Amino acid sequence: MTLDPVTLATPFFILAVILEIVLGKLGKARAHYEGRDTLVSLSLGLGSTLAGLLTAGVVFAATLWVYQHRLFTIPMSAWWAWAAIFVLEDLTYYWFHRLSHERRFWWASHVNHHSSQHYNLSTALRQTWTGGLNGSWLLWLPLAFLGFPPPMIAIEKSISLVYQFWIHTEAVRRLPGPLEAVFNTPSHHRVHHARNPRYLDSNYAGILIVWDRMFGTFVAEDEPPRYGIVKNLGDFNIVRAAFHEWASIGQDLWRARSPREAAGYLFGPPGWSPDGSRQTSTALKAAWARRRGGAVPPEPEHAALTPPGLNGKPRT
Amino acid sequence: MTPAFLLQTLASLVAIFLLVALAAWARIARPAPALDADTARALIAEEFPDHALGPVWVAGDGAAAIARSQDEALIVYRAGDGYVARSLPWSKLADGRASGGAVALKLGDVTAPRIRFSLAEGGAWPPPMGEAGR
Ligand SMILES: [Zn+2]
Ligand SMILES: [Zn+2]
Repeated sequence: MTLDPVTLATPFFILAVILEIVLGKLGKARAHYEGRDTLVSLSLGLGSTLAGLLTAGVVFAATLWVYQHRLFTIPMSAWWAWAAIFVLEDLTYYWFHRLSHERRFWWASHVNHHSSQHYNLSTALRQTWTGGLNGSWLLWLPLAFLGFPPPMIAIEKSISLVYQFWIHTEAVRRLPGPLEAVFNTPSHHRVHHARNPRYLDSNYAGILIVWDRMFGTFVAEDEPPRYGIVKNLGDFNIVRAAFHEWASIGQDLWRARSPREAAGYLFGPPGWSPDGSRQTSTALKAAWARRRGGAVPPEPEHAALTPPGLNGKPRT
Repeated sequence: MTPAFLLQTLASLVAIFLLVALAAWARIARPAPALDADTARALIAEEFPDHALGPVWVAGDGAAAIARSQDEALIVYRAGDGYVARSLPWSKLADGRASGGAVALKLGDVTAPRIRFSLAEGGAWPPPMGEAGR
């Protein structure tokens, strides 16, 4: 049994869910729970922990190997080392999270976290079963190469995960201004979980919302969020919830007529199709902007992540 | 598979069971009253904002609705306390199998494979074509 921050925090997670349900029941806080939705979210959480154990050894061995070839030796006992890893890990998380939304191969794992139409503390525990297999853990290796000890990286990742638990709630409306300016909050993350076109692909932050403000992906909460994914799941089948996007990718690859199409289905943005018959987030946002008569929002950052010919613009 | 690991997993399963039971007992799902002609139309318009809606058919139990838009069938149906939206070519509605006052219709989608559309008293399937969406 490991005593990492996530394990230590689990009893707190359970108590917090109980508290949210009871406050919702008493009408003291805004909280909606649906039994089958809660069952799927919590089962995905437990399954994610078990699936993570299967790849944890490989991930830790790789991190250790990179650490043996490190540039510097950063002491775990220094306060500045913790300050530095707090910022650098959070920056890594931002790009990991952004990749997980903007490229279908990684979205196929991350979609699990977003497929509930609810937004409550149980949604926070709704985690991927396949995230260890898609190679996204490679993004954290540069921290080991810089010289942060592997246990320090693991602890910081867990701290981030624990922080992100409590923001999955409708019970907290807004925090005082300076906190909303700097930190990821329930309000900012509600926007991230919303399927309203204007909210798609925004607020990727882990702990610090400043990354979204810096990289142009910040959207403030305005109209009420409608939670879930663009095409919500039709039932509460847990196997479907865990693997549906991989199955859809498989179907598309089977039908792909060229390597270019196959690459588009795998690494294009979710909703990419060769003839533009499906809608990407960019297309949905553009349609929304057209409906309200405004200008189509520019997306300069998108281009950086986009291989030639695979951009998210509708191909009309 | 150490005893500690098994114990931790077992404790997690028990915790999940208790939390789900508590969530179900609390009855704090979002209100999802049966759809009528107006609420169904509003919901479909929200889900398909770029489609012009023609006639709307509401299922007998108010748990689903279909709108015609040109040669497309725009479908919404309830899942838990939320709704799911999909579209089909109108001609595909004819593939639905009616039995016991409801129609089972395949949606051809991994994430939402089928819908059960309950027919209103004397309801016909597929819905009469009527006028197309404007
Ligand atoms: Zn996300
Ligand atoms: Zn989240």
